[in-house]
Amino acid sequence: MQRSLKARIVALFLGLLLVVQVVGFNAIRASLSSHAHRELPGRLDVGDRVLQSLLAQRAQRLTDGARLLAADYGFREAVNSNDTETIVSVLENHGRRIGATQVALYGTDLDLRATTGDHLAALGPLAERLSRLAAGQRPGGSDASQGEIALLSGKPYQFVMVPIKAPVVVGWVLMGFSIDARLVADMQALAALQVTLLTRTSDGDPWRVELSSITGERADGLASHQWNRDVVEAGMASVDVHGEELGVHPSWLTTPAVADAARQGGGVLALTSLSVDEATRIPHDLQVALLVVTLLSCALFGVGSIFTAQRVIKPLHRLAAAADRLGAGDYTTPMDSENSRDEIGQLAQSFERMRVSVSAQKEEILKLAYWDALTGLPNRAQFRDAVGLALAVARKNCGLDGSSASAPVAVLMLDLARFKHVNDVLGYRFGDMLLQRVAERLSQQSVRDGDMVARLGGDKFAILLRSGDGELALAVANRITNALDAPLTLDEHTVDMSAGVGIACWPQHASDADSLLSRAEIAMYAAKQRSAGALVYDPTIDASSAQTLSLLTEMRQAVSEHQLRLYLQPKLSLNTGLVVGAEALVRWQHPQRGLVPPMQFIPFAEQTGFIRVLTMWIFEEAARHWRMLHAEGLLITLSVNLSTRDLLDQDLPQKFDALLVKHQVPAEAFCLEITESAIMDDPQRAQATLDRLSALGFKLSIDDFGTGYSSLAYLKRLPVDELKIDQSFVKSMEADPDDAKIVRSTIDLAHNLGLTVVAEGVENEHVWNMLRDLNCDQAQGYHMGKPMPADTFSNWSVGWLAKHRPAVDVAAALMLH
Amino acid sequence: MNPADSTEPARSHAGLLWLGAALVLWSAVAHAGGVNVRVTDATGQPLPQAVVSLEPVTGRLTVKPDPWLEVSQVRRQFGPQVSIVTVGTSVVFANFDTVRHHVYSFSPTKTFELKLYAGVPNVPVVFDKPGIAVIGCNIHDQMAAWIAVLDTPYHGQTGADGKVRINAVVAGSYRLKVWHPGLTGATDGVVSAVVVGPNDTDQGVQLKVGDNPLAMRL
Repeated sequence: MQRSLKARIVALFLGLLLVVQVVGFNAIRASLSSHAHRELPGRLDVGDRVLQSLLAQRAQRLTDGARLLAADYGFREAVNSNDTETIVSVLENHGRRIGATQVALYGTDLDLRATTGDHLAALGPLAERLSRLAAGQRPGGSDASQGEIALLSGKPYQFVMVPIKAPVVVGWVLMGFSIDARLVADMQALAALQVTLLTRTSDGDPWRVELSSITGERADGLASHQWNRDVVEAGMASVDVHGEELGVHPSWLTTPAVADAARQGGGVLALTSLSVDEATRIPHDLQVALLVVTLLSCALFGVGSIFTAQRVIKPLHRLAAAADRLGAGDYTTPMDSENSRDEIGQLAQSFERMRVSVSAQKEEILKLAYWDALTGLPNRAQFRDAVGLALAVARKNCGLDGSSASAPVAVLMLDLARFKHVNDVLGYRFGDMLLQRVAERLSQQSVRDGDMVARLGGDKFAILLRSGDGELALAVANRITNALDAPLTLDEHTVDMSAGVGIACWPQHASDADSLLSRAEIAMYAAKQRSAGALVYDPTIDASSAQTLSLLTEMRQAVSEHQLRLYLQPKLSLNTGLVVGAEALVRWQHPQRGLVPPMQFIPFAEQTGFIRVLTMWIFEEAARHWRMLHAEGLLITLSVNLSTRDLLDQDLPQKFDALLVKHQVPAEAFCLEITESAIMDDPQRAQATLDRLSALGFKLSIDDFGTGYSSLAYLKRLPVDELKIDQSFVKSMEADPDDAKIVRSTIDLAHNLGLTVVAEGVENEHVWNMLRDLNCDQAQGYHMGKPMPADTFSNWSVGWLAKHRPAVDVAAALMLH
Repeated sequence: MNPADSTEPARSHAGLLWLGAALVLWSAVAHAGGVNVRVTDATGQPLPQAVVSLEPVTGRLTVKPDPWLEVSQVRRQFGPQVSIVTVGTSVVFANFDTVRHHVYSFSPTKTFELKLYAGVPNVPVVFDKPGIAVIGCNIHDQMAAWIAVLDTPYHGQTGADGKVRINAVVAGSYRLKVWHPGLTGATDGVVSAVVVGPNDTDQGVQLKVGDNPLAMRL
């Protein structure tokens, strides 16, 4: 780019210079041309006068010579010899002395007496004229007369005539000199002009070039011009000869009258010519001078413009380099401080200001991009990069060590429970402060050097444990949950915080940072759902994992290929010991894996929504069995668990109703069990569904009561008939008086609300008795009966009755009271 | 006119006077009369130094050569410039200048050449044919002299007044011939007829002389 700029500057300079030079050159040429054109007629006129003068001089010289010759004694003696041969020979001899090729002797009466040739008879009138001219001359005086020029046999001659005196005029000698090239040479030497002599013997003939100082071809061209009398008398003519313009001054050398008198016509025409082109051409030395000036100025301008361009471009180049550095992200190198105060210096200063400004902005942007403004913790982007970096380092170490498990990386992700609720109730400002405090606690709990705590957004935090396996991660997770357990007091509000923590480890759970994060997140949601505190990722909780997908396929097959089995666990009346109901449970008889425990597919079914299919299957199976049990005389209530997803299904009541109709079973034969958490996920919709189910006649039961967070006020509004005390209380009520109190309180509470109470997890007779003493209504547990295939329930029921008849009877008797 | 020139005609005329006296005597015997001729030039001015002669229309007169004539060269001029001699007269070209002269004549009347000489040449030039002889000097172009060689005793030369008298002319018919160097053309002169009686006869002759070479030179 800067090269082309330089080239453009240089080209501009040189171009302008050349324009000036061309204009100057043309001006000079035009001036010379116009000058030459102005001068041309004058020069030609002068040339013509020079020619006439030359001819006159020549005539004078010839006259003088002839006069001298005529005075020669021997000549005179011979001429007077009266011997014709002698006379002719002396004429020839003496004529030769002065170069006269034609000599004639005339008497005093101009009668021709002798001649060296035989032409002169024709020149009688010429001799007369000449004699008069000669007679008029003073001896020795000068006269401008050029004698006479006449054609003789087509050749031009200059004739002079002198008297022979002995001592008086005794005759005349006529001498003719051929006009030779010397005239032309003299002309060129004197006037720097070209002379061409044209001759013709009669008016009709074409002109013939007699003599010329220009080359033959051009002379012929000149001769071919129409040289008539008018043209000649005009004095000046411009003739185009082979493309070359000639300025011509024609003049007669022969007196036309003489030619006419000689009855020959024609004559001699002298053309003084000058090439207009040559005259207007710029002289060679001037051309050289102009060329030298042009070359010198080109060189000077070239050097000057290159120098100037360099001065402009060098700083530009530096600026470009600086801009490139900025473009490459180097904001630390200051600009070369250019001290010049010109525009480029200002530009450099602007660049410098821009660099500083951009540098500051970049830092700000980086901060915004990688840090969470509220808590001051790294944000998601930075955390993600850090995880990527940690994985890269771990991989590298792994490669070095050669062992795959040497340096695991763990990611913990946690989400505050009920934060939305806090935000809604106590306001966003409080929520923000809460987040800040949580961030502080997390930072305190965490961790070792190199680990990172980040806020991913909202109420979601994450912790990176470099070289941490699942165990370490779980330990950290427990520390964190413990730390969060301590209530927070803010603005006189005390808030209990809890969090679900998900853990994912590299390389077991994921191979890259993004999937590691998403697995941790999946684990976190699973933990929250199960209120499990901390949970390590497992493919089964991940609806999107390949294992899950295949599991889902297998479960569909399980339904269609009747691999599912309905199991029933009896519910017994504590009072009478009679079988009053059973909880319908599903088991999976896998063709390869055998009996799959519920924990291995129920949570998965809940996550994927397949649970609704299972629910419907269970319900229909239960209805079918109820009809069979009813036929056998066994009148019991069958309990079916409903999941969150079932409760959110608006069509569930109709589907159930359809199945009831199908199997001829009354709604009262079913008790639908719902966990507290299932209801709390979306209380409005849950209540709507429950209301409709209740309206259909189903009994409703709160399952796992005591583990959730449902308020009693809320429970009161639900159309439930039964509470099932969570087995964790029941199992420990023997050993823990507090749990026993909880159980007793719950039973009292339920009874006060008019609800039936069922205790789960009854594993021995002592508990059975305790519950019976606490007036609990029903019990369920291994002590009485494990879940059993539905087909065997009828037999078991008969066996149970047989074994416990007395008690039943007693109970029945008591009831009679 | 310088004094020297004025003496020369006087000297040369000495012979003529002597001859004239004899003629007078002779004519007196044979009915002699005088002829007066007045010569003018083209403009009517008197023309001096014109040569006038009478020749009988029939017959021939006998004439004796003059004793001699001297044509001198003084100050690069011939003197006299125009002379009359009878046939057979010897002419001496005496050189009085300090330079030599080369006197010549190409005239058919008398062709001669006196190559560079000083003083008086040993041999005089005899003019033995009638006619006009033009004498020049090869060295000095401006020098010219004319000698009229006549074969008649009746002749004379006009004076300054253009007049001349020829005495004692026997009566009879004559051709009057007048010549002057200024006459153009190679003529012997202008001829007119004249009858001479016992008394004097007057005759006027006009010559077409434009540029008088003598006048020019003198």
